[in-house]
Amino acid sequence: MNKQIISFPKDGKPSLIPNEWQVWDGEHDEGGIPDLEHGMHKVLGPFHWWITRYKNPDIIHRANQGEIGVWFSADDDILKHADIIEAGKSLWPVVGAHFPIFRDGRSFSTAALLRDRFAWQGEIRAIGDVLIDQLLQGARVGFDAFELRADQNLDVALKQFDLFSVVTQNSWRDQRATIAAS
Amino acid sequence: MYKYDHIDQTLVDQRVIQFRDQVERRLNGTLAEEEFRPLRLQNGLYHQRHAYMLRVAIPYGLLNAKQLRTLALIADKYDRGYGHFTTRQNIQFNWVELEQTPDILAELAKVEMHAIQTSGNCIRNITSDAFAGVAADEYIDPRPICELLRQWSTLHPEFAHLPRKFKFAINGAKEDRTVLLCHDVGIELKKNPNTNNGELTADIYAGGGMGRTPILGSLIKSHVPWQILPSFLTALLRVYNRFGRRDNLYKARIKILVKALGPEEFARQVEGEWNQLHNDIKQSKDNFTQAEWERVAKHFTKPNYRALTALSNEQLQSHADSKLNSSEKIGFTRWLERNVKPHQVPGYASAILSLKPHGSAAPGDATSTQMNAIADLADQYSFGELRVTHEQNLVLADVEQAELLNLWRAAKNYNLVLPNIGLLTDIIACPGGDFCSLANAKSLPIAKAIQERFDDLDYLHDLGDITLNISGCINSCGHHHVGNIGVLGVDKDGEEWYQITLGGDQGNDASIGKVIGPSFYANEIPDVMSSLINTYVEQRTADEPFIDTYRRLGVAPFKEAAYRNNGKHSKESSKGAIA
Repeated sequence: MNKQIISFPKDGKPSLIPNEWQVWDGEHDEGGIPDLEHGMHKVLGPFHWWITRYKNPDIIHRANQGEIGVWFSADDDILKHADIIEAGKSLWPVVGAHFPIFRDGRSFSTAALLRDRFAWQGEIRAIGDVLIDQLLQGARVGFDAFELRADQNLDVALKQFDLFSVVTQNSWRDQRATIAAS
Repeated sequence: MYKYDHIDQTLVDQRVIQFRDQVERRLNGTLAEEEFRPLRLQNGLYHQRHAYMLRVAIPYGLLNAKQLRTLALIADKYDRGYGHFTTRQNIQFNWVELEQTPDILAELAKVEMHAIQTSGNCIRNITSDAFAGVAADEYIDPRPICELLRQWSTLHPEFAHLPRKFKFAINGAKEDRTVLLCHDVGIELKKNPNTNNGELTADIYAGGGMGRTPILGSLIKSHVPWQILPSFLTALLRVYNRFGRRDNLYKARIKILVKALGPEEFARQVEGEWNQLHNDIKQSKDNFTQAEWERVAKHFTKPNYRALTALSNEQLQSHADSKLNSSEKIGFTRWLERNVKPHQVPGYASAILSLKPHGSAAPGDATSTQMNAIADLADQYSFGELRVTHEQNLVLADVEQAELLNLWRAAKNYNLVLPNIGLLTDIIACPGGDFCSLANAKSLPIAKAIQERFDDLDYLHDLGDITLNISGCINSCGHHHVGNIGVLGVDKDGEEWYQITLGGDQGNDASIGKVIGPSFYANEIPDVMSSLINTYVEQRTADEPFIDTYRRLGVAPFKEAAYRNNGKHSKESSKGAIA
């Protein structure tokens, strides 16, 4: 995992910040949340794990402490679990959306739905096979944090957000420039 | 014609900078080829059999003379002196260098052109009627909607990595010249006093396509007000992006999703998503506004037509007769009959320049000399504009009828007046195995052999309307499924074979052709064509087009004729016979 992530708040500037969240796949540590006594103590667990544990008092306690968020896999049909997500909104400081491979764009729609449909105001972090050339699209559909794949050059990555000063369709971040021109 | 404002211009200029950086990272090794591939494809850059190929966008097929001259310049400076116009109204250059592509894009940006989304798993360049704005049978000029949707789809962030490529076509005329139902989404524009207060609406067809599973699109929503198209199409694409198959390349197109769910269920899911978008996005901020319409539509007003009297073909011929020798007379008469199309404005016509010379160039190819000449012709005779057709020809859309003879004479010098539009030799063909790394077989030598076999224009004119489409592989870039006669290159044990389909059709009675039986060797194809055509000639009733004869009789007599001489050619003698 990366020690740094790119944070790009909706009304702010992109910058590198320390990564406080460990992405956990839900498979290891014998079904429990990993022991994070040392180093980071916040964990993003898979949504499918949350679905079966969200009534567990210990989990809820830790969530209330701000230590647990969830990440959605590209396969997760988030609209099918709208009630759980609505309830989770008050518990999770951060949600993630996973890219199994950079050219799989399902998580773009997940982020758009989280912003449009669920009115999710907190952080949405891109995780998984996140490469430099997806950052622009991600930033526009609703992602405001990016944990890039470890081999990516973060300095080159940071420059991506300045490439375009105009856009021709609305997104979470901007209104299309063509409206203003009309 | 649409003119870029500073927003469009800024976007294409910044896109050049973005792609230049991506190419640099590829060349210095920090971007792996596998990761560069989708990026270059979204910029129309393929790696073909021998070289890189760059596909340049020609939105809805509309070009001006200056742009065509730039394409000629690119052909000369960066390629081998020619370009290839495609069935989706774009142009491709077959021999470009990776290192030079950013410079080519910079040349294009100077004349309001680009290569954005001409390939890749994203929303591709939108196609429309090559006769938009001038066709006599048009009820709505589709170009403002085409342009609004071009802008909406350009670098759309949510749909940058769809399961597969995604193609729109938009029609606004009685006769469909867009192969509407063979697109992922076909938009049929309507204007009816009984719906939406007589405002423009769209009927949306989804799930059409060719490829290995040819399917005609299904109507999934009628009367969508034009203002709502962005949110409706967002809903539609969002359903596809989330649920389109990604496990199998061949099952990833939207047609497979629509078929698997059923058009009704697909429509229901889109409708559900769309309703939510309406509710969630305050006052539907995605909707197109009247101000946007006006900003775009003002570019598609009529050119400065003169008040002229309409002339009949007979009048045009009799005027021309005194100026032409006898062989020219025949040529001009045929050209008027086949290559000149009626116009909305009296005294004007649209002239199609054939890019299908018999046997001497690949269908759709134009040399830089021809491109420069056509640009001059456009300036002189057609308000400096031209169009690319789905059949890979070029159109001068606004020619004064009285100037047709002068245009014909000038274009004749550049081998552009073959009167074969809509005839058997007006072949649609993909580049095939000569260029394309996907192809199983060659297309171009087959097209050439057929054009050489059927070189008699008297005979071709007597045969009348027949479409013949050739694809070098199952991806169907040559649209063989919708040719009255289709030829598909197939690979069997490392050898090139050709399968024949019959009964395909584009237009309002669009249909998918049916395979007639086992495939043939390359050198059998001209004889097979002769057998099919002879059967038609023997069986047709007066004035009955090929497709109607086929529909009346079915496949049996054609099949029997095609296989009558099967086996005449030995395997050995046929190898590479047409190469």
